[in-house]
Amino acid sequence: MPPSTDLLQGTLDMLILKAIAAEPQHGWAIAQRIEMVSGNVLQIGQGSLYPALHRLEYKGWIRAQWGASENNRRARYYSLTAAGRKHLEAELDNWARLTGAINLVLESI
Amino acid sequence: MGEWLSRVRFFFAGRSRAEVDDEIQFHLERQVEANLAAGMSPAEARRQAAISFGGRERTREQCRQQRPSWSLESLLRDIRYAIRGLLCNPGFTLVAVLTLALAIGANSTIFSLLSQALLRALPVQDPDQLVVLSFAGGAPGHHHSEGGNTRGHQHEFSYPMYKDLRDGNTAMSGLIASAPASVGVVWNNHAEPVSAEMVSGNYFGTLGVRPAVGRLFVASDETAENASPVAVLNFDFWKSHLAKAQVEGKTLLINGSPFTIVGVAPPGFHSVVWGRLPEVYVPITMQRTVEPEWTYLNDRKGYWIDLAGRLRPGMTRARAEASMNQLYAALRRAEVPLLIDQTPNDLQDFIDKAHLNLEAGANGFSPFREDARLPLTIMMGMALLVVGMAVVNVASLLLVRAATRVREFSMRYALGATNGQILRQLLTEGLLLGMLGAAAGLLIAPTALGALIHWMSGTTEGRVPFSGSLDWRILGFTIAVTLAASLVFSLAPGVQFWNPRLAEALKQQTDSGRGSSLRFRRTCVALQIGFSLLLIVGAGLFVRTIQNLHNVDPGFATDHVLAFTLDPQMAGYTPATVPAVEQRAIDSIAALPGVRGVAATNDADLRGDDRQGDVVVDQDCAHPRPDDNEFDIELPWVSNGYLQALGVPLVAGRYFTAEDTATSMKVAIVNESFARHYFASNAAALGHRVCRPHRPSTDAVIVGVVKDVKHSSLRDPVMATEYTLFSQAERPGGLWYYVRTWQTPLAAANSIRAAIAGIDTKLIVGNLSTLNDQVDDNLLSERTVALLAGTFGGLAMLLAGVGLYGILAYSTAQRTREIGIRMALGARRGTVVRLILRDVLILAGWAVGITIPVAVLMVRTVRSQLFGVSVADPAVYAVGVLLIGLVAMVAGLIPSRRAATVDPARALRTE
Repeated sequence: MPPSTDLLQGTLDMLILKAIAAEPQHGWAIAQRIEMVSGNVLQIGQGSLYPALHRLEYKGWIRAQWGASENNRRARYYSLTAAGRKHLEAELDNWARLTGAINLVLESI
Repeated sequence: MGEWLSRVRFFFAGRSRAEVDDEIQFHLERQVEANLAAGMSPAEARRQAAISFGGRERTREQCRQQRPSWSLESLLRDIRYAIRGLLCNPGFTLVAVLTLALAIGANSTIFSLLSQALLRALPVQDPDQLVVLSFAGGAPGHHHSEGGNTRGHQHEFSYPMYKDLRDGNTAMSGLIASAPASVGVVWNNHAEPVSAEMVSGNYFGTLGVRPAVGRLFVASDETAENASPVAVLNFDFWKSHLAKAQVEGKTLLINGSPFTIVGVAPPGFHSVVWGRLPEVYVPITMQRTVEPEWTYLNDRKGYWIDLAGRLRPGMTRARAEASMNQLYAALRRAEVPLLIDQTPNDLQDFIDKAHLNLEAGANGFSPFREDARLPLTIMMGMALLVVGMAVVNVASLLLVRAATRVREFSMRYALGATNGQILRQLLTEGLLLGMLGAAAGLLIAPTALGALIHWMSGTTEGRVPFSGSLDWRILGFTIAVTLAASLVFSLAPGVQFWNPRLAEALKQQTDSGRGSSLRFRRTCVALQIGFSLLLIVGAGLFVRTIQNLHNVDPGFATDHVLAFTLDPQMAGYTPATVPAVEQRAIDSIAALPGVRGVAATNDADLRGDDRQGDVVVDQDCAHPRPDDNEFDIELPWVSNGYLQALGVPLVAGRYFTAEDTATSMKVAIVNESFARHYFASNAAALGHRVCRPHRPSTDAVIVGVVKDVKHSSLRDPVMATEYTLFSQAERPGGLWYYVRTWQTPLAAANSIRAAIAGIDTKLIVGNLSTLNDQVDDNLLSERTVALLAGTFGGLAMLLAGVGLYGILAYSTAQRTREIGIRMALGARRGTVVRLILRDVLILAGWAVGITIPVAVLMVRTVRSQLFGVSVADPAVYAVGVLLIGLVAMVAGLIPSRRAATVDPARALRTE
């Protein structure tokens, strides 16, 4: 297993929001997707995923609904709310600015 | 915005535990499926799924902590737990809450008085813009003062000076004047004495006070002397005496003259001077009617009105003071020609030293406040000290309780509780105790406050400027004190539990390494014992003082004497007709059955009053020789039967008789002290002439010498006194009447009222009570000190008892094993009790031993207030020490009895 990289403070929220931006997903799928897409570099402690999901739900950025899963079982699907989408855009902008700046520094020194 | 709404929604409906469980269950199953698909065996697939997920319980817990209502839930849990803990120990809870209630109640009560007297702003518009005026520099002339003047700060101005300052200044949007007076009021044929305030026309307008009924005064009410007989009523007076009758436009007699009532002031407003409680307001230009014996309105040398002003918007006090002083200096220079016999010194005093002070006036100027400041501050200090004692004691009690909870807290640490959680629990418990105590304290505070105010107003109908209601300020102060106190005493056990060495605490319960904390608490209790002894001794000395004053022989019999006041001017009599009415009153009362004699004087006896001045003997009164060592003597005007009726023994010459009249030769009688000061012997005084310097009309011949008797108060030494006849006086006024009766004095009250009403129904009999009651009232300040010192001393003693109990209970609990061993080795129960009590008595003994010399030293500072009792009065100290001993024994009895019932076998087994 490749060494896991600790997630930057606050980036977990952004990753979750991004993971469900296209379509509603349940918790397991969100974890899988993030790990897979990152090539297993970003390992989400699965136990800490749910508190984060609940926190985002309480903040009103995501909405949870019970639905049928791909194997036809009851699962909780999370989707973005309008407020969540706005928050995600702001976070992505921020992120782009931050990484862009860091890259600039790294490249020019 | 949306985020908040969402939080509020989820506050009431967070995810339920079952939902979270379902979600986690689904996640695990999905992972197992994935693992199976990856080719693991079913058992391995489940194992790997569980490993990658981590602790389920932990996740569940973390999900729960995300709920918006989480902090409230945990707080509620802490409170529930704290309540359960307090209910488990009802004795402890009761003692702690009562301790706090008494301390906080006393504190809130005293603070309420302090707040009303010193902190509360006047109930007027923008009080911060108000300034109070006073001046420095010489001011020869007549002064009428309520007190409160200090060097360089005289608060009374003349009316012409007021008008010049008001009309000439540019710094103020309004300058107002006021002066107090006592008047007689007749409403619905009922005559009574009331207090009045003479105010300038712009008084209410400048203060921004709006009428409750009708209108208040305006500038046109203050034009010329006696031009506007109008009156405004105080709201309380209108409510209590006139039953809120329709008064606008009705006529009220003030000192016999008709005044038209134009309105009623708003509720809560009394005066710009805090402590004045006028019942009617009249324009200042009506001064001659209100105070007929004075003519002040055009007198630049009559200093009698208090000034306050409202600064113009944007004007600072410093700038206003500078601009006002320019004007003041010019006005002062214009007044110079009025000075008689001006020496260069006088001139310098009058001009160069003249200065106008503008002081912040949001609370209003008040001579009464200056009188109240020191006692209130001392009382507040005592109250805070009592709170401090309560805090130490409750902390001590909590430590006792904590000592039995070491195992509980160690267990909680072992189960993973953090320091923060333990601390939060302790704080919750402490705050709960504090709030219970504060609530109980606030329940007693209004009652205590009411009792205190009732006490202060004395037995006569005196009113005090304090109200018995608690306001937000008191509430805020109480809450602040409670929070601070709770924080301190709840953290005390916290220090003990701060991450204790777990294993050690679990293994043994004996007291280790906490000796210093116990020593600190013993010191605190010793200090409390000392403090309470100090107060008890203080109270005792004042009680002895009061007893001694009661035993003082004033030189004449004070029993069977009824006293009252009568001022014909309050019924509209002109100064010229006053003496005749007063003589008729004396004659008609003397004719009543059961009356042995009637005395009348303008200088009340034994009420703290005096009328003093200097005299010259055997000189030209109009041009006396200057005398540097001025000798003040008492100068009462009396009726010709006064000395005989009171029973003042004659030593030489004769008493006044009916032959001494307004037109006969002016006569005087002096007392022995006077004769001793001016002449060789009593007999030598007869025939000499006495008068006030520069006042030839006071020139009188000494016809008699009487024995010294107490006059101003039982405490003050007798002064040299010159009695003259009120019928021969320059300026007649109201008199005090003393009626000596055969039967109980108050039985004569009705016939006296009837006799006075028979002369004129408008005449007001005021301040009617027995002379002995008035003497008692005059001891009010001594009794107040005794009461307060006694109350606080008792409270302190109670608290010291609680503190002592706390320490003993703690140390006894710690010594259970030692006691068990002693008893196993044959110690009797009596021996164990003695062991504990010895501890108490040693502690109390130390405290008492150290306090007594301190008390003697401290009491010396109030020695001038004491009378006939030494600062080291053995009886007082003995009673104090006895009381301390009693409290100590009671406090020690409970723990020592518990110690004596220790079962040696069990005590040893538990270790």
